[in-house]
Amino acid sequence: MRRLLTVLAALMTLSLTNCGYNAIQTNDEQVKAAWSEVVNQYQRRADLVPNLVNSVKGFAQQEKDVLLGVTNARAKVGSVQATPDVVNDPAALQKFQAAQSELTGALSRLLVVTENYPQLKSDALFRDLMSQLEGTENRITVARNRYIKSVQEYNVGIRTFPNNLTAMAFGYKEKANFTVENEREISVAPKVDFNVPAPAPSK
Amino acid sequence: MRALSVVKALLATLFVCLAAIALADVAVPQLTGRVVDQTGTLSSSDIAGLSQKLKDLETRKGSQVAVLIVPTTQPETIEQFSIRVAEAWKIGRKKVDDGALLVVAKNDRKLRIEVGYGLEGSLTDVTARRIIDEVITPKFRSGDFAGGIDAGVDRIIGVINGEALPVPQPQASHGVDLDIDSISSFAPVAFFGAIFLGGVLRTLFGRLLGSLATGGAIGILTWVLVGSISLALLSSVAGLVIAFIAGGLSSTMPSSGGRRGGWSSGSSSGGWSSGSSSDSGSFSGGGGSFGGGGASGSW
Repeated sequence: MRRLLTVLAALMTLSLTNCGYNAIQTNDEQVKAAWSEVVNQYQRRADLVPNLVNSVKGFAQQEKDVLLGVTNARAKVGSVQATPDVVNDPAALQKFQAAQSELTGALSRLLVVTENYPQLKSDALFRDLMSQLEGTENRITVARNRYIKSVQEYNVGIRTFPNNLTAMAFGYKEKANFTVENEREISVAPKVDFNVPAPAPSK
Repeated sequence: MRALSVVKALLATLFVCLAAIALADVAVPQLTGRVVDQTGTLSSSDIAGLSQKLKDLETRKGSQVAVLIVPTTQPETIEQFSIRVAEAWKIGRKKVDDGALLVVAKNDRKLRIEVGYGLEGSLTDVTARRIIDEVITPKFRSGDFAGGIDAGVDRIIGVINGEALPVPQPQASHGVDLDIDSISSFAPVAFFGAIFLGGVLRTLFGRLLGSLATGGAIGILTWVLVGSISLALLSSVAGLVIAFIAGGLSSTMPSSGGRRGGWSSGSSSGGWSSGSSSDSGSFSGGGGSFGGGGASGSW
């Protein structure tokens, strides 16, 4: 009897490893890690914004609308939840992404405006903030790409046979992923820009 | 006539494929050394001098820095290209992530300092940007590429020198390092394999001999699947002990002598850890990771 149980336990273990239970766990964790990196980098950008706004204010006070736009977008970003559960909820991810895109758009408008202030552009503090912003935008891009890849891996993992049976048995669902289209349309600058320093590498 | 149209179709396909190749991203260059120059910009003495500097840095601080000069990164931006290179080369130590990469795209007139996670505190985006703007690009503008890269690398080394990093370990030369991933993926299979195989072999050879045979078999299996002698020894001892104990448990019970269907343990063989060659002349990344930190510039 005991031997039978042992053999059964062995078979269970083997079948679980072979049916991808462990792979699903690994991929699940990877998605979570990739997501927290995304949130981390977006947070970094949000932390930069107040300094950037203040630095621009010193030289370009009359650009009230643009500055206000950035501040509001920044506030909205802060109000959207970015818990690890977001990855399981497409609607929440959509909301998070919309808020972040709005901030991206507001920031690019701000950068267009700064073009008109040579003194601001040569200001050392502003230049430092700009390189921090550029670096942060690049980190965001990298983190998002890694998140997209890890979600793809996870989703393919739970949809292919035989892992899909394991996923069904344990209730693993597909995870939400970033979309790129609306990001583009939101971040279009309000006026024709011939020579904008791109805040982020274009997708 | 038909043959001719087939040939035409083939040619058309070939043409389309070739066009696609032309549009494909630039492949990540082979990591042949600390300085990889695909443009012939640097003389061999420049490369030797730079490599020596960077090698000294690694022996002193443990941090790995590499220089890459390519003609172009088109159609990608330099940021996209350099993160791909960084992910492929994995310079910097694993878990310390103290690697940095200076990428120059000569025909695009763009350059970038890509910074590993572990150096982001000292080689910040601002610092990297200043090294590019104040040290490297002025020399590039006057056509002095070797001087610009040399001065830039000096500044990068200076910054890393000021960073508190874990002391570099002298290269351990005994055996292959145990790969935790392969152990954890293989352990359950080996455990139940030992119990199962032990049962079979004990009925054939008796308890002690059977357990010994089990240990040996598990050891050989581990060696074949994971490719690590030390791990094989470890698991064979474990297999022996497990089989022996299981024998003690099951010998107290009437054996059922049930029929067994042959099942193959299709264990996922864990990642083959190829032992790093201790060739002092070669240079390979230590497994550091990057997250897009650093700065870009142009001249």
